[in-house]
Amino acid sequence: MTEPVPNIVLYIAFAFLMAAMTITLARLLKGPSVNDRIAAMDLIASIIMGVILVYSVLINNEMYFDIPVIISLISFIGTIAVSTYLKQKNE
Amino acid sequence: MNKIIISVFILLGSFFILVAAIGILRFKDLYGRLHATTKATSFGLLLMLVGVSLFFNIFPVYMKSLLIIIFIFLTAPLAAHSIAKSFTGNGENSDNTAENN
Amino acid sequence: MKSLKLLYYIPEFIVFYLAELVKANFYIAYIILSPKMKTQPGFIEFPLKIKSSAGLLLFSNLVSMTPGSLSVEICEDKKTLLIHALLISDHQKTMEEIESIQKRILRITN
Repeated sequence: MTEPVPNIVLYIAFAFLMAAMTITLARLLKGPSVNDRIAAMDLIASIIMGVILVYSVLINNEMYFDIPVIISLISFIGTIAVSTYLKQKNE
Repeated sequence: MNKIIISVFILLGSFFILVAAIGILRFKDLYGRLHATTKATSFGLLLMLVGVSLFFNIFPVYMKSLLIIIFIFLTAPLAAHSIAKSFTGNGENSDNTAENN
Repeated sequence: MKSLKLLYYIPEFIVFYLAELVKANFYIAYIILSPKMKTQPGFIEFPLKIKSSAGLLLFSNLVSMTPGSLSVEICEDKKTLLIHALLISDHQKTMEEIESIQKRILRITN
């Protein structure tokens, strides 16, 4: 049922995701306005979903597949909540 | 054969997420950044989810993966829309948007 | 007869959506990774014909997924949609593309 994927592929994917995480953290620290920071937080949630998916392939355990479901729900609610708060504060 | 397909999906997915991160750093204004993060992130996650569910190849994983894909594709443009809408009334960077108009 | 037509239009719409998605992503990857990003951002106002709210949700989602356009705001009276375009000099081509999307969604929701 499960053919092993070569480990080097997974390590390259990890490297890509970690580089993406570093760059996004730079934008999160630098971001001129609050909205840039919200966009960066949204992207960080997606990157963490990717990391968990690759990790579940690495240790060959499908139980980890539940975590991305929850992260996708929570990150959307958080983004909407903060941006709605900002909009009401500006009015 | 199966192995190669899964590897290509996972590598392309993480590559597109990296592209989104480079885009969020390189674009000059908020709207360009939203372009990058909306499209590239959801496409990268789609490719990655397809690859991982092909790897496990059991029914519950396919169902969860389909759920996540539908949810992401419904909500990623909505989140970008909400962020962009809260930006237009913002005081400190409003000169930037007026210039583009 | 109408539901039979719908049975053809919906899979065609899904295939169209996926094709647009792939095209949009390669376009944005090309823009981001090219060393000199030649973007010329600007806003476009697009007149809406869709009235149902489900159709509007689908339409604004799909506009966000087409190459180089992002839906920013729908007016109070649901008449115009404000679109942010990455290349304003290709204004005419973007308008035509969005027009064809609107035609497809009207076929499904009506």
